[in-house]
Amino acid sequence: MAAVTLTNVVKRFGVFEVVHGANIDIADGEFVVFVGPSGCGKSTLLRMIAGLEDISGGDIAIGGKVINDVEPADRGIAMVFQSYALYPHMTVGQNLSFGLRMNGNPKADTERRVRKAAEILRIDELMQRRPKQLSGGQRQRVAIGRAIVREPQVFLFDEPLSNLDAELRVQMRVEISRLHKELGVTMIYVTHDQTEAMTLADRIVVLKAGNVEQIGAPLDLYDDPANRFVAGFIGSPKMNFLSAKIVDTSNSAATIELAHHGGVRLRKPLAEAFPAVGAEVVLGVRPEHFFEAGEGDCDIPVKADVAEHLGSVSYVYANAGPEELIVEREASRQRASGDHFKVSIKAERALLFDKAGARIR
Amino acid sequence: MRTQNATAYRFLTPYLLIFAIFWIWPIVSSFMISFQATRTVPWRFAPAFNWGRLIGDPAFYNALTNTLLILVIQVPVMIALAIIMAVLLNSPLLKARGLYRFAFFAPVVVGEVAYSAVFRLMFSLDFGIVNKLLNSVGIPKIDWFSNVTPAMALIMIAVTWRWAGYNAIIILAGLQSIPEDVYEAATLDRVSRVKQFFHITLPLLKPVIVFCAVLSIIGTMQLFTEPFLITERGGPGGGTETLGLLLYRQGFRSLNFGYASAVAYTMAGLAIAITLVQLWLMREPK
Ligand SMILES: Nc1ncnc2c1ncn2[C@@H]1O[C@H](COP(=O)(O)OP(=O)(O)O)[C@@H](O)[C@H]1O
Ligand SMILES: [Mg+2]
Repeated sequence: MAAVTLTNVVKRFGVFEVVHGANIDIADGEFVVFVGPSGCGKSTLLRMIAGLEDISGGDIAIGGKVINDVEPADRGIAMVFQSYALYPHMTVGQNLSFGLRMNGNPKADTERRVRKAAEILRIDELMQRRPKQLSGGQRQRVAIGRAIVREPQVFLFDEPLSNLDAELRVQMRVEISRLHKELGVTMIYVTHDQTEAMTLADRIVVLKAGNVEQIGAPLDLYDDPANRFVAGFIGSPKMNFLSAKIVDTSNSAATIELAHHGGVRLRKPLAEAFPAVGAEVVLGVRPEHFFEAGEGDCDIPVKADVAEHLGSVSYVYANAGPEELIVEREASRQRASGDHFKVSIKAERALLFDKAGARIR
Repeated sequence: MRTQNATAYRFLTPYLLIFAIFWIWPIVSSFMISFQATRTVPWRFAPAFNWGRLIGDPAFYNALTNTLLILVIQVPVMIALAIIMAVLLNSPLLKARGLYRFAFFAPVVVGEVAYSAVFRLMFSLDFGIVNKLLNSVGIPKIDWFSNVTPAMALIMIAVTWRWAGYNAIIILAGLQSIPEDVYEAATLDRVSRVKQFFHITLPLLKPVIVFCAVLSIIGTMQLFTEPFLITERGGPGGGTETLGLLLYRQGFRSLNFGYASAVAYTMAGLAIAITLVQLWLMREPK
């Protein structure tokens, strides 16, 4: 039983408020990823849960018990640091058992736990080595092993993969996923990498400048972002944003005119609020949602600038007036720099945002 | 590549010349001199003359004992003190850190004569502040300069005062190179501050502490200023005479260069031997 609940959590460093009242509910056994650009307060939130930073306001509860004033070691958490934070002068085995040994845990139990962790992470052969003699991936495993040995109710990860090379990162990502399934405990994972967030999370918490922007399952955030920030942050390559203006609202739809594409118009059915005619808006279209000319509701002409061919797909960086668009094309080997072509937008595959960035549904 | 090296050496020649004349040659020469009888003119080669005398010289054993005694007591006490000072300096609670850092380092740059004079005043029998303070807590005043044990203690106190801060600054640099998150990990592992110090800080400081210990041992082996200036040339009655003083007395008072050279080589040999033992004891487990 270890749900984690953050209620109006505030963090101030002196006069600087860096977390502005975060409300996050994490269910027992859930894998939640905090994602956001560097400096948005992800680590600060995680460190408050761990007890490494004081909580300036609000409450954090673990397993239903408010732990604001509970010692870090008594919160039932274990943390994996970005820099691994292994004890440099101890062997892998000593690193794993240090905490238990220091607390007079029975020797047999310590050995059992260390052996189990080493087995899970396949580091049995490294037990006599020192951190200096390990590769980045192996160090990461030891750091995770040290967390497992504590048998915590909640695992906290602070950008654990950011010091690894791309290939290893993918491999460790899978292992962390596997670990979550195997242990079935709550995991809170911090990263600035939206791919990690999308692939690992049961639910993602998107943060920006100390505010929770949206909480939801990865594909929900992808399909139905609450605002322009989330729309732009989730998904790779990024969503395209085209300036537009409302020219008509009628029959539960708004007609918008794109600003830079020769007066092209698009009729977008809306369910909720209707913006005023003349209001400036932004149309968001993901690279994978540009269709071939004629297939969508409106076509816009573009000129290919650079094409990246990844094999299965290609990304064409195209100029359309003053706006640069990223267009995904299935293995379009024929597209080359300088090509003129048309892409089509489907209203149901385009998102509308007001000038402040809020979603218009 | 060859010609580049040659050019480099040509640029280095002036330095190498000076180095050879003022460093290498005296080192080699004094080694030769230690095998010569230098009280006769001309000097003659007599290997047993100085070295033989050294082995049987009570003054040498007195100086050796004093030096080693100071070394064995003063160096560990000073290093321990330096570690404590460094930990305090590193505390986030400390205000005006720069000021303390300067204060700790200041004794090293104070002139030796001035510092010795102040110590003589502070420890003087009737007017010294130290005896006044001792008196005020009911301890009878101590005659620091006329008795061997207080005089030795005084030397150790003075040397410690002068060098503890210097070592603390070096150890502080070592402390600051230990990443903060290692301590955070230990905190999450429920390891108390005190245990963190003994199980994390000290082991990780080991290389720095060994470095400080080696420097201090070499320095103490050559100890000269304090017994020369504070206890007036190793007084009372040779009670604080060190190898450095013996060397000075033989070489520059009695002009017995051969014997002084033998003492000098003994000092250097001992320093090297102790340092090697030290490094071996503190070696990294493989
Ligand atoms: N100890 C601190 N003192 C003052 N400001 C801090 C401290 N730690 C973090 N901050 C500030 O808080 C904000 C959030 O930091 P952090 O949580 O580390 O961001 P993230 O992990 O999302 O990159 C940043 O603006 C950072 O400068
Ligand atoms: Mg961070």
